[in-house]
Amino acid sequence: MAQKIIELKNVTKRFPGVLANDDVSLHVNKAEIYAVVGENGAGKSTLMKTMYGLHAPTEGEVYIKGKKVEHFSPSTAIKNGVGMVHQHFMLVPSFTIAENIVLGSEPRDKKIFVDKEKANEIVRNLSKTYGLEVDPTVRIEEVSVGIQQRVEILKTLYKGADILILDEPTAVLTPQETEDLFKVIKKLVNELEKTVIIITHKLNEVIAISDRVGVMRQGKLVGEVKTSEVTEKKLAEMMVGREVLFEELSRDEIKGEVLIKAENIVAKDNRGFDGLKGVSFEIKAGEILGVAGIEGNGQTELIEVLSGMRELKSGNIYINNQSTTGFTPKKIRDLGVAHIPEDRLVMGLSKESSITDNMLMGSQHNEKFSSKGIHLKRNVIVDHAKDLIRKFDVRTASEEVTVGSLSGGNMQKVVIAREFSFDTPILLISQPTRGVDIGAIEFIHDQIIKKRNEGCAILLISAELDEIFRLSDRMITLYEGEITGEFKNGEISKNDIGYYMTGNRKESK
Amino acid sequence: MINIKLKQNIEYLTSLFLSVFAALFIGALIMMINGQNPMVGYKALVVGAFGTKYKIATTFAKTVPLILTGFATAISFMSGIFNIGGEGQLYLGAFAAAYIGFTFTNLPVFVAVILAILASALVGGLYAYFPGVLKVKYNIDEVITTIMLNSVAILFTTYLVNYPFQATQGKMGGTDMIGLSYKFTKLVKLSKLNTSIFYTAIIAIVMYYIIKKTSFGYNFKMVGENSIFSRYAGLANKKYMIRAMVISGALCGIAGCFEVYGVHYRFLQNISKGYAFDGMLVALIVRNNPLGIIFMSLFFAMLKTGSISMEVATGIPSELMLVIQSIIILFIAGEQGFKNIFKKFRANRRKLVK
Repeated sequence: MAQKIIELKNVTKRFPGVLANDDVSLHVNKAEIYAVVGENGAGKSTLMKTMYGLHAPTEGEVYIKGKKVEHFSPSTAIKNGVGMVHQHFMLVPSFTIAENIVLGSEPRDKKIFVDKEKANEIVRNLSKTYGLEVDPTVRIEEVSVGIQQRVEILKTLYKGADILILDEPTAVLTPQETEDLFKVIKKLVNELEKTVIIITHKLNEVIAISDRVGVMRQGKLVGEVKTSEVTEKKLAEMMVGREVLFEELSRDEIKGEVLIKAENIVAKDNRGFDGLKGVSFEIKAGEILGVAGIEGNGQTELIEVLSGMRELKSGNIYINNQSTTGFTPKKIRDLGVAHIPEDRLVMGLSKESSITDNMLMGSQHNEKFSSKGIHLKRNVIVDHAKDLIRKFDVRTASEEVTVGSLSGGNMQKVVIAREFSFDTPILLISQPTRGVDIGAIEFIHDQIIKKRNEGCAILLISAELDEIFRLSDRMITLYEGEITGEFKNGEISKNDIGYYMTGNRKESK
Repeated sequence: MINIKLKQNIEYLTSLFLSVFAALFIGALIMMINGQNPMVGYKALVVGAFGTKYKIATTFAKTVPLILTGFATAISFMSGIFNIGGEGQLYLGAFAAAYIGFTFTNLPVFVAVILAILASALVGGLYAYFPGVLKVKYNIDEVITTIMLNSVAILFTTYLVNYPFQATQGKMGGTDMIGLSYKFTKLVKLSKLNTSIFYTAIIAIVMYYIIKKTSFGYNFKMVGENSIFSRYAGLANKKYMIRAMVISGALCGIAGCFEVYGVHYRFLQNISKGYAFDGMLVALIVRNNPLGIIFMSLFFAMLKTGSISMEVATGIPSELMLVIQSIIILFIAGEQGFKNIFKKFRANRRKLVK
């Protein structure tokens, strides 16, 4: 019989007005990979935070290595050998990798100074032991997200963790990095007897890596299964509580005119280098052009330059046959463009404002919502917001709550609802389903296809290849600001497209 | 759907009242430490502010500059651009209005007053326009520029009234009187309360309407909350920030005009006693809420008038009211921290009960 390394008994966690965890009992065995899946707001993160001691359960008990946890705090958890890697990394960018890893318990030189050489040595040894390759002397700000995650893992291992909790570890990784991470996890578990608990909403990953899965829904643990005995589809059903179909989307063939045309566009990235180096493409009405690529290869620059948020350095963009050089975002919107941005919190929403006010943005001068464009018609505005909340199934207690208090998936629905409500012929969409749960993904995909079938020209940027392949009519691969290939959907497989996403060029005929 | 807005408002008002009471309580403690009876002290304060017709009038007269500069602060802060230069704008506005008043002494009253108000608004607005432009064009910190421009304006007007525009008869540090007929009518004899309170009421209503009911108010708010979002959604951020600055400066200028036409009838080199800064505190405490500005101005005015009577009646120093004002602000600023403490306290209590 496997040894129970963590056990939760009837854990309930209440926040004011919310029952985040409802009588959850589960255990994790030593040296296994346990996955926790569930929709947004199902209570996964709350449960993990309880395990890591970030808060105490309202009711119930937690046992770690057979010992009851009396005092809930991260320091107790670390003492007990529990380490957590958060979704958002907690690293000091200007410190080297070694400095970050030993931060808080640095090796001392004559008890005063940090012994950097020794720190580097320690990190090199850790690297070797766990098979997590890093260069200890490089600064965090100079390394990729994948490496940063390794550093986070090493940090917890350095503190002596043998139970690792990983919160959405693959959300920020490229497919290659994900593969590497999984290799590391398997090594940690199989060879070094570590225990790994992984929170995720990507079911294919659950199937690929875990030994057992706990499925959460609305705060409850609705099922616990051996991974070998379950399918992706079955897991999705358990998560959502109903069948999830992901049917083939029906497509109408529309041969429309070109609505977006990019000619050799060049744009700077935030560091001042060329993020886009001469990109050309066309999108017709009734067509979805998917942009596949590892994040950070010019996608951000592409959508921002098209929407007017970023300056065009050279080249030409025509929207509806109108050159948009020098246009403000407002002028571009007036040409019939809606834009779902990559980062909803930075660009797509005002967190402190109510849902109503966020839904109004962009149409506040519309005669429908304000007489003469000035006096706001509050009733109409509220009704409009309520209508969109219903149509797009935004889960909220009221239309007056601040958007910042919604879950990520619901925030995304607010953005999509607003941008789709403009009924524009052109849509620029980036990461439409990031952080969105399965049931809602299905819905959002349906909406996008509906827009396409109505004759919209759609640019779709996504880090999820599944999404690109499901929705696009055509796709291009972007690598270091250049297009490396263009394909019709069906012409290439998901596995093969990775070849072009990493810089290899399609031979042009 | 439950009424979240009402709940939020109630929550906010509760915390505001708690802050005020806590501050008054600490004030009471200080009085006790000094060997004075706080009940007597506070009674003297209230009586001093509202005890007689004259006192009520004085208290209301004091709300005029507070409300105007309060709204001036609110419109700029809510738009994410921080006008700390209200004092300077007030001085220049006051001087401009006085200039109209003592230069053209034979205009019809109506014309002269309108001219004076427009001139003060224009000068105040212009004086805020430049730091606004510097901010949006060259990203020069408006907080620093406006603070420094305060000194420039105050010293410049001091020069003006001591040299080129020094009063022809005696009076140092002041200009000539404005035309006799231009003086705003006093509403209560001997008090400073005058018709400017009506103009202020009209301005307050207009500002309330703009902030709460129009697309412009909405736009100001959105630009202030997330300027990337507002640009993305098609708003001309820079325009709105400059507009906010100009409105803010204009309101401060008008506050200066009312001091001249309603109270002193000439420009004085120390015409404002930090009104713009008090207005800023008012707006900060009520988080730019229009109705809140009006009530908080009245509360501040009460503290000001009442504390002087209190000092006379009981010997409690009027400076205590500054302490109380500061404590309120401290509490409001620490609100989030207190909320967390309360949460912990409640959670602990729940544990004990179990």
